Amino acid sequence: MHQIISKKLGRWVRILAVSILFLTVFVLILFGVSYLFMPKNNLAEFGMEDVTANGILGERDNSIDVLVIGDSEAYSAISPMEIWQKQGITSYVCATSGQKLSASDTFLKQAFKRQKPKVVILETDAIYRDIPANDAILTRIQNLFSVFRYHNRWKTLRSDELFTSVEYTWTDDHKGFVYNGAINGTDNTEYMIPTDSAAPIKALNQQYVKAMAAYCKANGATFLLVSTPSTVNWNYERHNGVAQLADSCGVTYIDLNLAPNKVDIDWSTDTRDKGDHLNYNGAVKVSAWLGEYLKEHFDLSDHREDSDYSKWNEALTRYQKAVTPAAT
Amino acid sequence: MEISSYVSIAYLVLFLPAVILLYGISPRRIRPYVLLLSSYAFFWSISGKLLIYLLLSTFSIHHTGAWLALVQTERKGVLLQADKGGKKAIRTAYQKKLRRIVAFSVCLHIGILIVLKYSSFLGGNINALFSALHIPVAFTIPKYAVPIGLSFFTLQAVSYIFDVYREKIPADKHLGRLALFMAFFPQIMEGPICRYQDTALQLFKGAPISYQNLTRGIQRILFGLLKKIVIADRLNVFIQNVFNGYAAYDGGIIALAAVLYTCQLYMEFSGTMDVVIASAEIFGITLPENFRQPFFSRTISEFWQRWHITLGTWFKDYIFYPLSMAKPLKKLTSRARKKLGNHFGPLIAGSAALFAVWLCNGLWHGAGWNYIFFGMYHFAFILTGNIIEPLSRRITGSLHIRRDSFPWMAIQILRTGILVCIGELFFRANGLAAGLAMFKIMITDFSLASIQNGTVFTLGMDKRDFLITLIAVMIVFVNSILKERGILPRQWLVTCRLPLRWAVYYGLILFVIIFGAYGTGYVPVDPIYANF
Repeated sequence: MHQIISKKLGRWVRILAVSILFLTVFVLILFGVSYLFMPKNNLAEFGMEDVTANGILGERDNSIDVLVIGDSEAYSAISPMEIWQKQGITSYVCATSGQKLSASDTFLKQAFKRQKPKVVILETDAIYRDIPANDAILTRIQNLFSVFRYHNRWKTLRSDELFTSVEYTWTDDHKGFVYNGAINGTDNTEYMIPTDSAAPIKALNQQYVKAMAAYCKANGATFLLVSTPSTVNWNYERHNGVAQLADSCGVTYIDLNLAPNKVDIDWSTDTRDKGDHLNYNGAVKVSAWLGEYLKEHFDLSDHREDSDYSKWNEALTRYQKAVTPAAT
Repeated sequence: MEISSYVSIAYLVLFLPAVILLYGISPRRIRPYVLLLSSYAFFWSISGKLLIYLLLSTFSIHHTGAWLALVQTERKGVLLQADKGGKKAIRTAYQKKLRRIVAFSVCLHIGILIVLKYSSFLGGNINALFSALHIPVAFTIPKYAVPIGLSFFTLQAVSYIFDVYREKIPADKHLGRLALFMAFFPQIMEGPICRYQDTALQLFKGAPISYQNLTRGIQRILFGLLKKIVIADRLNVFIQNVFNGYAAYDGGIIALAAVLYTCQLYMEFSGTMDVVIASAEIFGITLPENFRQPFFSRTISEFWQRWHITLGTWFKDYIFYPLSMAKPLKKLTSRARKKLGNHFGPLIAGSAALFAVWLCNGLWHGAGWNYIFFGMYHFAFILTGNIIEPLSRRITGSLHIRRDSFPWMAIQILRTGILVCIGELFFRANGLAAGLAMFKIMITDFSLASIQNGTVFTLGMDKRDFLITLIAVMIVFVNSILKERGILPRQWLVTCRLPLRWAVYYGLILFVIIFGAYGTGYVPVDPIYANF
């Protein structure tokens, strides 16, 4: 009996050992292949995805004070260069179109590898976007092994790129803000109709927000939830839902659609697509409000005279040139 | 957590490993219940409260089976006591009773299927007919939520009832075993359509997970992923573009899209079947195969013996044979045999049964005229094949063509392949009118210009996409040739030395990871057969 048990046990130990060896070799191969496939610079021609949002990788280490994550609402409404111009605070918008919280989480953690922002803003529209289980799992796997994110580079990968070291050299003059000067107004100005009901937030989405809040806290940053003005995506029910979530996370929630923090948006001139997104005019107003708020509530230095930040002043000149047609 | 398909990460990375773990650590007698609860959890994750339909079906067949068994036992007792002259009347009386029970249960199942799946199609057509006849009546067409795998578990339920009625199997008194036969998660969404006698007992055995089954299962899952993610998903954008905007393309592009769609359908369905059958294999359960190298078929009839095999055999056993054996058709056959001879005589009755099979086959695939056309298209070719078979043999004989020679077989295989692709063109088209329009373009405006001038590479697949698809198809093709010759590549792999074996595994995994069409920029094809 003893012999049978020990023989069986020995077989299982052998199987376990072989499995562990197989998986270890596999993981090593994945790390190796991931290195080969990862973009060695943060430009599109090196295969980088979401180049504008990933422009933060080219910023000098520990130079960003405020990080913004979220979807197109964020990159349409918040212009870091407007804040820099008036308050001298450095911010970067790591927002992408239709961003899910799983991706927001990735951008957050990626930013903290090189930066130490004191404030992290999550634009709340993404909180109501479904995250299919597949997306959530794939994002986690991609974060571990970049070959899952950049596998499609087999089409363009050059042999001289394979073994070069990683060096991110590019950053965005608009710091993640996507300029759009088009005007397409809306009459729907009464979109915040008071109600006590709250739009439910999916459990997985709540978990992501709570995890991001905890991560920021652990890294010494203040996590803020901000709803930028949108007549299409925002309403009182969603406001209530996010307010409840903010309460349960112990974080501050600012809704720019609603008093006392309401930004004075003129919906006939400040939106590019009938109230869905703000245009440049709207972004100037939101950024002005946000800059004041950041200056007032956080101990953020004015870097405008600091020579280490001279590139920001150079970028501002180029930014102003780019947005001039709309500004006039 | 919603599991969108068997090739989804949620299924492969979370659900399946969790079930394997739970099953592995559970005592043997608990294991079937682990599978049953996991199956219901799987169903719930996709269809939620619509699980009620599956439960209803399970309770219904359990009850009907028991009822049939009771009547059959009673009949035996009565027959034992009856005198010789009265036995026939008793048999007839009981036969009627049994048939009524079967009819009730089958009507219940097929009725639910018709209401949920076909009421919109039927209502729409009735309204259109009334409108054409200027009858001022219009039905409100209801829309129902359809539970996942309805067409699959309904056919399983009906087969169980018929098999108990035919006394091929005893009625199962064990509700749990019957429930697992109906709900087993790897097969519930896309089949294979199992018979009670094939799977129920092994499902409930609670066999331990062996190292061999686990590794062989993972191997086959990988191969299924190659078919689905590398080939079917990569072809998706091209196929969507052409089928949704066919008017803008010439016949060459339409023909290419028909071929690529046929390829996509096979890779998607057979790839999913690989994952399904492999998932069951891990638990020591052998599910019936659904594919046997269908593109090596020499006739349409043979194609359907190799493609979606379990559906074909279901139609054969529960529609074709009962109809062929029905008294009116048997009489027709004997009369026709006298007048038309032994070949053409039985063909008439057989054709009527065949027509019913292909009408059902078309409708089973979907509620739409293009699906009915699809069924009739294959019916026409199979019937024609049956009719001209003697003539074909005479012609090839007089021309001294050896029917088993390679060139002749190659011509037959090519011809069958072309006919299948045309059939799939109608199957995929956005309605029958679109299918006919595409077919017309393919015939009247056939040109290779779009392929020669590079337009073909602007429709969602560039040259590299075509190249990698071709390489992956060649891998599947070589595997199919080996299987056709009786060589099982998986068996061979197991006997290889460890370094070579691992190199093949790592190579296959990396091939899927690198060349898979997933992530940003790709739209994976939805599980095509899950909608049937």
